[in-house]
Amino acid sequence: MNDLSLPRAATSAAVVAFVALWTAVGHGQLSPAPVVKTMIQETGLPAIDRGLRDQDPPREARTALNADRIRKGNDDTLPYVRGSIIVKFKEDATRGGISAATAQVAGALADRSSWADFDIMAIPSDADPESAAAAMRQRADVEYAQPRYLNHAMARPNDTLYANQWNFPAIDMERAWDIQPGASSSIIVAVLDTGMAFQTATLRYNSRVPYRLTPFGPLNPPLGIVSVPFAAAPELGPSGSPRFVSPRDFIWNDDMPVDLDGHGTHVAGTIGQLTNNNNGTAGMAYNVRLMPVKVIQGVWDDIFGSPFGGTDDVVARGVRYAADNGANVINLSLGRENGGPATVVTDAMRYAVSRGCFVVVASGNSRLDGNEQNRLAVAAPQIDGMVAVGAVGRTLDLAAYSTTAPYVELSAPGGDQRRGGTAAGILQQTLDLDQIEDYTRPPRADSFAYEFFQGTSMATPHVAGFAALLMQQGITNPAAIEAAMKQFSTDKGVAGRDDSYGFGLINPRATLRGLGLAR
Amino acid sequence: MSAAAITRHLAPAFITIAILGSAGVTPAHAQSKPQPRASNTKPRPSRSVSIGGYAMFGLISFTAAESFDATLGTTSGPIFGGGARILLPWGGLFADVGAWRFHGEGERAFVFNDEVIPLGIPLDVTVTPIEISGGWRFRIRSLPKFSPYVAGGFTAMKYHESSDFSEAAEDIDDTFGGYHLLGGAEYKITRWLGVAGEASWTTVPDAIGESGVSAAFNETDLGGTTFRFKITIGR
Repeated sequence: MNDLSLPRAATSAAVVAFVALWTAVGHGQLSPAPVVKTMIQETGLPAIDRGLRDQDPPREARTALNADRIRKGNDDTLPYVRGSIIVKFKEDATRGGISAATAQVAGALADRSSWADFDIMAIPSDADPESAAAAMRQRADVEYAQPRYLNHAMARPNDTLYANQWNFPAIDMERAWDIQPGASSSIIVAVLDTGMAFQTATLRYNSRVPYRLTPFGPLNPPLGIVSVPFAAAPELGPSGSPRFVSPRDFIWNDDMPVDLDGHGTHVAGTIGQLTNNNNGTAGMAYNVRLMPVKVIQGVWDDIFGSPFGGTDDVVARGVRYAADNGANVINLSLGRENGGPATVVTDAMRYAVSRGCFVVVASGNSRLDGNEQNRLAVAAPQIDGMVAVGAVGRTLDLAAYSTTAPYVELSAPGGDQRRGGTAAGILQQTLDLDQIEDYTRPPRADSFAYEFFQGTSMATPHVAGFAALLMQQGITNPAAIEAAMKQFSTDKGVAGRDDSYGFGLINPRATLRGLGLAR
Repeated sequence: MSAAAITRHLAPAFITIAILGSAGVTPAHAQSKPQPRASNTKPRPSRSVSIGGYAMFGLISFTAAESFDATLGTTSGPIFGGGARILLPWGGLFADVGAWRFHGEGERAFVFNDEVIPLGIPLDVTVTPIEISGGWRFRIRSLPKFSPYVAGGFTAMKYHESSDFSEAAEDIDDTFGGYHLLGGAEYKITRWLGVAGEASWTTVPDAIGESGVSAAFNETDLGGTTFRFKITIGR
């Protein structure tokens, strides 16, 4: 091999590797690769508790710019998946019309996915999905069409027990719990996120292609077949507990929505962490049942070649799934700042609300990065029963990162570590980040720690938990829940509604207490 | 028709009857004027002051019907009270000071699009008006034991509202000013004992309606219509 052949070989190898990765994580969404996530056993060692992690440095809230996503490691900085778009044909669309539409973009319709009232249309991989979707929208027989925009979690973990949970006293939760102590198991809160640590198991994955963690960072070799131990987060409940209902993984297309990221487990903790058990931290609605629905992939899901990513259609299916499987509240601590409208998700949210679900969406973390709007949240003012939530820090001032926009309706504690350091984040138990954020060795998802996270992702579950408490108290109509939350919120910023705090900071105690005859 | 509705309809009628009934009668004290005697002695009007008391019970139907219904599950309720009456030595003029009490238990609520959503938090409401009235009693010649009367006056409405999970500052303990009109009739069973029925209309404007469900329903008047049965003692 001469001197020139080495770089050429390396380049070729890299290209092949990225093509393989692209196929695995991108195009694979239409023709899922053979399942490479396998249950080895449903038992495992007891979960490891590594305690409070309050000495870790603060980290930024997640935005599109810093979202952990392996597929961004190459030249792919697009906010959508290439090679396919989302199309919803009108009910009176004829077979001929659909064929013509498909031909118009040289596409092909895939079989319709479960929990979807829309279709995924394959288009040539070099075609521009936004143009193709625009062409579809011009057709009279198309209700809507959009690219398969990618979503990401709205917060990033940081670092540690109730005395550290400033966020609950800040919204008067102790007196609120006097009125409504944690709701009950009759209320189901769906957590649409990166999964949840709800199950003890050992799963086998296959890391088949090299991967980069940053656009021009070092190329990591594939890890091959690895066994990953999982455990239920001790503060969420034991594995196999009836507390966890109807789990569903739309990233791996199975019923094991385990968390390989930590975001979803943290969010679930704020909603329903076991409370008054002399251990760890508290949650807003600590008696509710939790529905883990995985619609966002973590870095490890990418490395392991998950067949689906967190595209709009996947999120929409997750929302519909939750609504159809008994969820009362749907928490979406996720979104995207790039791309066009998320019609498919908005449609699913309207469906969920029509089924009696209260939907809560993060407003976004982009104020310091251009204040781009979270496309999944913009419809909130138009849907009674869905709210978009901004974040406040420990001083109850707007968090530096919290997106300001006309769609912001409420605020809740999301933490602001720029003002107050690590402990100014939101503390919950989640995966031990030391065990899952070293991407050069297989992760362990059976080790847990109490971590401070910040972001509107953290604010959102406060409102989801709050909604669960209100439902238990008797307000079950999603629109009424939204009205009550707004009516009793504590006005912040400019008098009346504003783009920073919406109608104000949530006030669970006052809302749960409701109205007397004269006061 | 509910008891409250009956009360609402009866009360104005009762007052009207009392007023109309009085049209053909003479003032009570005129009735007691000494009849002219054959002697030259001039008749002397009575200058005596008669003091009596009463106990009463009845029913109130609140003007803020939606607010009371939303929180207490009823627009009306029983009342109990008592008072004192002074027959003054000028015709049928009398003064009356009475008080009664209404107490209701319900639950706090949230109002959404006029739909009342009860929240299961116990709520206590107590209304205690003190009524100071001045009025006129009439005597019907043919029915000397029967005395219609009409009156009006000032009401000091004490309102107390408390609920579970409240801080002291969140409860209400306040008194509001209003006024009332009433009409009724008394029947003397004996010289000292009588029974009376009366209806009263009370208005206490702007006592409620700034907050609570009363604000949602835009109801501001804490008054109502009462129908009362009295047992009177005294001449």
